[in-house]
Order: sequence, then C-alpha cells, then structure tokens
Amino acid sequence: MEIVQNPRYIDESKCIACGACAEKCPKKVDDPYNMGLSKRKAAYVEYAQAVPLKYAIDPETCIYIKKKKCGACIKICPTGAVDFDQKPEIVTLNVGSVILSPGFAPFNPEKFDNYQYAKLPNVITSLEFERILSASGPTMGHVSRISDHQSPKKIAWFQCVGSRDMNKCDHSYCSSVCCMYAIKEAVVAKEHEGDSLDCAIFFMDMRTHGKDFERFYDSARNKHGIRFIRSRVHTITQVPETDDLEVRYIMENGEIKTEVFNMIVLSIGMETSPEVVSLAQHLGITLTKGNFCETSSFEPVSTSRAGIYVSGSFQGPKDIPQAVIDSSAAASACGEILSTARNTLTKIPVIVSETDIAGERPRIGVFVCRCGINIAGVVDVPSVAEYAKTLPFVEFTSDNLYSCSQDNQDSITQLIKEKNLNRIVVAACTPKTHEPLFQETLISAGLNKYLFEMANIRNHDSWVHKSTPELATQKAKDLVRSAVAKVALTQPLKEAELQVNQTALVIGGGISGMAAASSLARQGYQTHIVEKSAQLGGQALNLYQTAKGERIQEKLSGLIQSVVKNSSIQVHLNTTLSQVDGFVGNFKTTLSSTASSQVIEHGIAVIATGAVPLVPTEYDYGKDPRILTSLELDRKLIDKDASLKSLNAAVFIQCVGSREPDRPYCSRVCCTHSIDNALELKEGNPDMNVYILYRDIRTYGEREYLYKKAREKGVIFIRYAVDNKPQVVMNNGRLVVKVTDHILGRPMELETDLISLATAIVANRDEKLAGFFKVPLNADGFFVERHAKLGPSEFATDGVFLCGMAHYPKPIDESIVQGKAAASRAVTLLARENIHTSGTIAEVMPTVCSNCGVCVSVCPYSAPSFIEETARFNPGKAQINPVLCKGCGLCVASCRSGAIRLKGFDNDQIFAQIYALNEAV
Amino acid sequence: MTEFEPKIVSFLCNWCSYGAADLAGVGRMEYPSNIRVIRIPCTGRMSPKFFLSALSEGADAVWVSG
Amino acid sequence: MSNGNPAIGSVLVVGGGIAGMQSALDLANSGYYVYLLEKSASIGGVMSQLDKTFPTNDCAM
Repeated sequence: MEIVQNPRYIDESKCIACGACAEKCPKKVDDPYNMGLSKRKAAYVEYAQAVPLKYAIDPETCIYIKKKKCGACIKICPTGAVDFDQKPEIVTLNVGSVILSPGFAPFNPEKFDNYQYAKLPNVITSLEFERILSASGPTMGHVSRISDHQSPKKIAWFQCVGSRDMNKCDHSYCSSVCCMYAIKEAVVAKEHEGDSLDCAIFFMDMRTHGKDFERFYDSARNKHGIRFIRSRVHTITQVPETDDLEVRYIMENGEIKTEVFNMIVLSIGMETSPEVVSLAQHLGITLTKGNFCETSSFEPVSTSRAGIYVSGSFQGPKDIPQAVIDSSAAASACGEILSTARNTLTKIPVIVSETDIAGERPRIGVFVCRCGINIAGVVDVPSVAEYAKTLPFVEFTSDNLYSCSQDNQDSITQLIKEKNLNRIVVAACTPKTHEPLFQETLISAGLNKYLFEMANIRNHDSWVHKSTPELATQKAKDLVRSAVAKVALTQPLKEAELQVNQTALVIGGGISGMAAASSLARQGYQTHIVEKSAQLGGQALNLYQTAKGERIQEKLSGLIQSVVKNSSIQVHLNTTLSQVDGFVGNFKTTLSSTASSQVIEHGIAVIATGAVPLVPTEYDYGKDPRILTSLELDRKLIDKDASLKSLNAAVFIQCVGSREPDRPYCSRVCCTHSIDNALELKEGNPDMNVYILYRDIRTYGEREYLYKKAREKGVIFIRYAVDNKPQVVMNNGRLVVKVTDHILGRPMELETDLISLATAIVANRDEKLAGFFKVPLNADGFFVERHAKLGPSEFATDGVFLCGMAHYPKPIDESIVQGKAAASRAVTLLARENIHTSGTIAEVMPTVCSNCGVCVSVCPYSAPSFIEETARFNPGKAQINPVLCKGCGLCVASCRSGAIRLKGFDNDQIFAQIYALNEAV
Repeated sequence: MTEFEPKIVSFLCNWCSYGAADLAGVGRMEYPSNIRVIRIPCTGRMSPKFFLSALSEGADAVWVSG
Repeated sequence: MSNGNPAIGSVLVVGGGIAGMQSALDLANSGYYVYLLEKSASIGGVMSQLDKTFPTNDCAM
C-alpha cells in the first residue's frame, strides 16, 4: 500500500504543546472542531485533549506557506519545532491486511432551500448544537443562539434532514443515530437551561432501537417534558423584525399548524464523503446504493476484496457501540488470516534487571522541569530545586529545560546510577501523560518503576496561576514537598505474572457463539462450545431470510458444518455449566450433561446464550391456527408452504410485547422482519392485501430500502397507538382485525386469512450463569456489558466476553459481528500468554481481618473473596485476587478493621502527603 | 486586615477530576492558588480519616472530586 | 493469505475515529504491528466533537 504522509510543519518529537505558536500566529480561521462557530489560528491543536498533543500548521491558511511572509511561530517556538521544509512523503507499507474505517461526513443541509440553513443564523445543524452544549465549545456549554447570543426559550429539532429523503438529497436510507442524538440534545439542553426551556422534536418515526434507548425516549417524554410531534416540517420563515423562526407543519389529521421557535436544530444524517467513495473505487471495493461498503450478513466486515475489511459507519450508518463492535470484529477478521505471522513484526523492549533496594534508606532525586517557559515563565524553578534540596532524604536536585527530552532521560538514568538514587520525583507536567515515560527511564536504570512520583507544577500550577507567580512558586514547593514525602515511603512493587490458559470456552451454540468460536479457532485457539440443546444453530434455525435476502438455513448449515468439522473446536451438546471456579486466565468449569460431567480448564469465556421469543398472550394467539408468531410464519416460508400463496389477506401486528410497561425496550429486529415477510407474501401473490399495523417503523440504516419497497409494492401501513391497540375478532370462521386508522382517525375492519405477531425478544435471564462468572444482568434480564459505548462485547469482570442476543436483541449480521468482536477482545488477552497484574493493588492483612465480608460485597470487579473455611492458613479471612484488582481502593476505605492496604496509595503515604501540606498556603 | 484566604486540600480521582484539573491548565483557566491536590486512584479510596487529618493539619476545607 | 505467500504480521487501518482506534488497539494487543492512518492532525474522529453520549450522558471525550 502506498500512502501519503502530509507535513504538519511542526516536528512532533520537538513540540511540547506549549501553545506559543498558536498564541503568536496572526492568522485566524474558522475552527472546524467547533463547526466554524469559533475561531482558531492557522497554527493549532484540534482540541485540548487531542492525541497526539502536538501542534500542526494548516497549509491552506498559513501566511508563511501561502505568501512566504510572517514566520512568527518559527521565532517564538522555544524548542525549534516549526519546520516549513517538511514535504509530503510517499510511504510504501507492506501489510498483511487493511481495515477501512474512514467514517462518515455529516450531511450538509445548505442545499435544502426550505430550511434556509445557509441564510438564517438560528437554523443550525445538530453537530453545531453539540458544540454549543459542550463545556469546551464556543459558548462553554451555555445554550445561546447565533444571531444575538440570547438564550432561546423554545428550540425545535427537525429529524431526517439528509436521511429517508429521495427528493432532495438522494439518501433514502435512515442514518440510524439521529433520533437518539436529538433526544439527548434536547434533554441535555434542558439540563443546562432549566425546565422552562421548551424542546420539540418533529419526526416521522422515532427510532430508539438500541439497548436502553427506549427508556431514554420514555423519560425524555414523561420526565423531561420534551414534545414529540409527528410531522415533517416543510417551511421555515423568519418572523419579521425578530430573529425568531416560524414553522408551518401539517398534523397527521390534515390540520395545518404554525408555531414560533427561537432556534431550530437540523438533525443531519450521515453520508459517505466523495473522497471515501473515490478511495473505494480506487481500491476496487463494491459500494451499496447508499454509497456504503457492501458486505454480506454472514461476512459482515469483509469487503468485496479479499484481505480488506471494513468497520464503522462506512459499513452503514451506525452508532458508537455498533461501530466499536464492528471494529473489534474487523480486527478478528485480520487475525484469522494473519495468525501465523502474529508477533513477527511487533517490537519487544530490552529488559534491564532490577536493583534490590531492600533495607536502603531513601535517596531521593528531584528533577524540576522548566518546560521551556511554560513553567519557568511563572514559577521560579531554580528556587524550587534549591528548596527541594532541604527536604528529608533528598540527595540530588536539578532543574531541566525539558525533563521529558530524550537526552534528559539519558541523564536521569546516568544520575540514578552515579548517585545511587533509589527514589525519583519529577516536578513537571501531569502524570496522566508523562508518568509512563519517566517510569520507563527508571526501568532502564534498573529501578522499580513504582519508586517514582510526579509533582504537577505545570497543569495544576504555572498554567493556572500565571498572574500570581510568587504564590505559584510557593505552591510548586508545596507540591514537591508532598511528592517527596510520599515517595520516601514508597516500596518497590511487584507485578505478578500469571500464565493465561490458551483454551477458550463459548457458552451458547447459536449463530453468535459459533461466530465467536470459529474466529477463535481460526486464530489458533482450542475452543469448546457448550450448547444446552441437542443441536447447534440457536434461534437462527427458525429464521427464513436476512434483510439482504440471503437464505438463512443454507448459510447456517454451512456454518454448523464448518464448526463441527473444525478440529480446534469441541462441541458439547445437551450440556450445561454446573460449576465455575477460577478467574481470568485460569478458569475451571464443570460441564454437565445427562450422561456425564467433565472439568474444562480455560483462559477466557464468551457468553453467547441468546434470547427467546415471547409467547404472546394477546391477540387471541393460540386460539386459531391462522394466528401465528413471526417465527411460525418463517417456518412456513422455510417449508415453502404453498397455502401462503392462496391467502387473500395478511395482517402483521408489530410490538407484541415490546415497548410496553413490562418490557420497556424495542426488540430491534421485528420491523425489518415483518416487512421482509410481508414483501415475501406480496411477491408470492401480488393480489394479496397485506397490512402492517405498527407504532413506529424502525428499519434503521439501509434496511429502510425494504420499507420503501414494501410501500411501493402496495403493503399498507397503519399506525396504532399503544393505548388503542388493534383487536382480533373471530366471527363464524372469519378472522377480522379492528384498528383505528391514524390518518382518517376512524376504526377499520380488516378481514384476513393470516395474522403474524411480531413478538418481543425476551432475555433468558440466566442468573445462575451470571453468578458463575460474577457478571450483572439488567432489569430486562440481558447481560450488562463493561461499557455501553466503548466496551459492548466484554464484561467488567476480566476474561469474560459477551455477544449476540444475550447482550440485546439483534439480527443475524449484528450477532455474527459481535461474535467476532468478542473473539477479538478475547484474543487480546490470550495473545499475551501471560497477564501482568498492576503493582498498585489492594492486599489484605489476614491477622487484622474480621471476616465481615464488606470488601467482598463492595468490589465492582469481584476481586475479594473469602479463604475457604477448610484452608490451613487464615480460614474465613478475606483475600484479594491480584489479577482482578484494579486498585481503586474502595475495599480499603470500606474495611472496618483497617485490614486492607492499597499498595502505592497506602494510608501512610497519603497521610504523609497531607502532613506535608500542613505548612502550605 | 487582609481578607480570609482558605487553605483547601483536594483529593482528586485519577480518572476524571485529576484529568479535568489538567485540562483547566491546558485551557489556561486561571483560579486562585489556594488549592493543593492529592491524587488518589478513585474517590472510593477516600477514607474519613483523610478528611479529618487534613482539617486537623490546618486545612480550612477539603474537596473530594471524582 | 490464500495465495501461498507467507502472511505479513502488520495491518493498515485507514481512519482514526472511534472505529479505527478500536481496530488498531485490538490488533496491536493481539501481536500485530499497526499503521493507523488519519488525515487530520489528531485521532478521535467525530466522537471527539460530541458533548455527551446517551443513554448514560457520559462525557464523549
């Protein structure tokens, strides 16, 4: 692959992110990070938390690059990092595979003349509003409108701007995320501005199909009082003499309404940028008609070209958790073809043996950083270094221009050896970014890396107290004194090493469990699949076809065959778990079947136990063979039941058991599923009257095409309200559905030969399994992942992973993708072969422990447990598993007997810091 | 008489508030220098003894954030 | 790959948004050398511009 590396005109190895270049730069440009709502300079860092935190110079606007004049940044830069001689470089990379994750472009609504986005300042996009809400944005989180900086009293959101619209933008897909972000923005705006702010969302269908999204929608409506208006607005006009905006819209019953708002937010959709389209063409990758990367439901991260994979919103419009799941799956797909080359190109650091400092009195070295002028410009650095010399146990101090520079690392290494220093304090910037660097230096000098402390005299001092330099210097001394007091009490800490058993256990032999197991096996790991039923396949055995029209049974039997034949996969049918011992890297699980039981040792576990369809109690289900569930209709389609073609009418009823008080979540798959089956019936017999009775149609992403096609083919959609559900009436063998039509507002009677009930997907609520692996279940009975956005396929408990419908209802493609994702997350652990625990973990002093169990119950990571009563030493006392402990200290603070200590943040160390501050201020 | 200047000892969670204080620096937000930060791994680590000790050592206020 | 040539233990990830970063992290932690390609001056993508994320209203940054 050939790539072009563009110059940033600043040498990253020299830039210390002091910001002097941006301060001096005379060229102001619109800040794209704030969507042009504020200015930044041509020399810039995108945002405060940017990674890498290195400045760059924008060649499009820089005066020096454009006109060879200025060069102010060259003069001011204290490290000489500005380099206008940098040229674009063509770099050739030899890689085993490629992942495309180029993301999306936010839709630009300028071309919509009816919304007058380009003309009216108070019509803004949702991404602009996002910046307005942000504390780091142009208004510091204060909601104000562009024209007059006044706080709006009424804000409206318009949904589907650039989505589900063929007329104006040629995007007939749904962007999937806009409903949820609009609700979020409205809720957050009300949180910022108080309840008096009126928020209204104009929408077509509210699509809150993700995990916990429906609850968020319910609380936005019921608790926050956000108004949801089902209407597509067609015109906005400015109210004369004001900056307010009048909105004219038509209600479903035909009534025309007008309302005035102070500000309008356009909920813009996602699109693939022309740049990415041309990249795809260049690479020879097939795109869908919406310009997303084409994939199949069974290979959801494979592009049309072998070895090139896709993740994120280039695969289709999607939210953050789905993008994160994809991305792990794409990593797995690479691992499946590259596993023979694992660890061939990674670099391994040289290990220096550690000096034993046991019994030595502390000999502390204090290095005070000037950070160019960043610290020294405010704080009197030499006097801080001088002062440090007077502190107990300090043997050596110095001040450095840049403590983090490579030559200074070499010099620290040298000094540690020369002066026999055994503890180090660096007074500089923040340990959040620089502690690892200095710890590396300690390691290379043969010193345990925990014998180190930083005093943050830049971010917490010189940068924030620049108008009071004397006080800042005093504070720097206090912070150094406190750090010295702490480090003097620091002991070398050990990071225990534990071998990771290289075998995997997958619980559940459905489609996501099989996807996980296949991926693990292809990446070289022995894998066991445990399935409680007599066959592999799970719910997929009952499904007819995917939203993309692939026949599921054919593909599924192929997948089952490949799993059964794979010599690295051992399938245990009719088997359940009866006991789980151990923890990450070293689990011992007892598998029980009717005939026998066996113990399996494994390093990781994947929970893929799926979900089940609700057995409905509504709509006379079970009283007439013509009333079926969706899956029962699928069975007829799989069996090619000829009677389906002779039906005169069919009625689909949506949300049977979903989005109800008992089950306040959306089952995600049913809208697409019913529409797919409706189309199948209609195609089998175009004269059939097919009705879909729904609450909101949720055909997210490119599934929307199916919805559009169904309407074109004459499927009739009738919306009903949850408080006025359809009724099934049987009358002398006639089957009739009564429903109130949402447009006419009149009751209708639909005579039908078939009713298909879109039943909810219900969690297995497997409390026993949750207890075995110490993982939580939510109120709906689904497993709770580590993080809703960033850790969707794993648990907070290390070594346990999650995929498929055990996480949340999802279709085939998403189940497979999460199966692969869980495998990828598991491989990151298995590939290490050994786990290193952190040094800063909790430890129980058993002689002080009173067996009360508070630590066992408070720990979020299940690290503490009781030592068995039959144990020879300390029976019944608490013990902390160093592998599971994250070092938060909750158990330490909760322990009533003071029996637990947190290494590296021990009581004596924190007290020493507190005492050291007693002279402060 | 000079105005009362409180001494504040703060315990900040490494994962959030400590980082936020770093960002205040990156944003060059100025605030009075009366505050001294002790970094803790999580506010779960906070023990009542730390509050009491800081107060008895002369702090006028203790701020815990996480 | 299937053409008989030995596999190369490195991967190019195009795009440094949340998706690209996650792929890169997983691959690097699994023993592959990763090149992460990003057209702007820092990684993070659109997610870094978001204020908060639902349903927990966590800070997106």
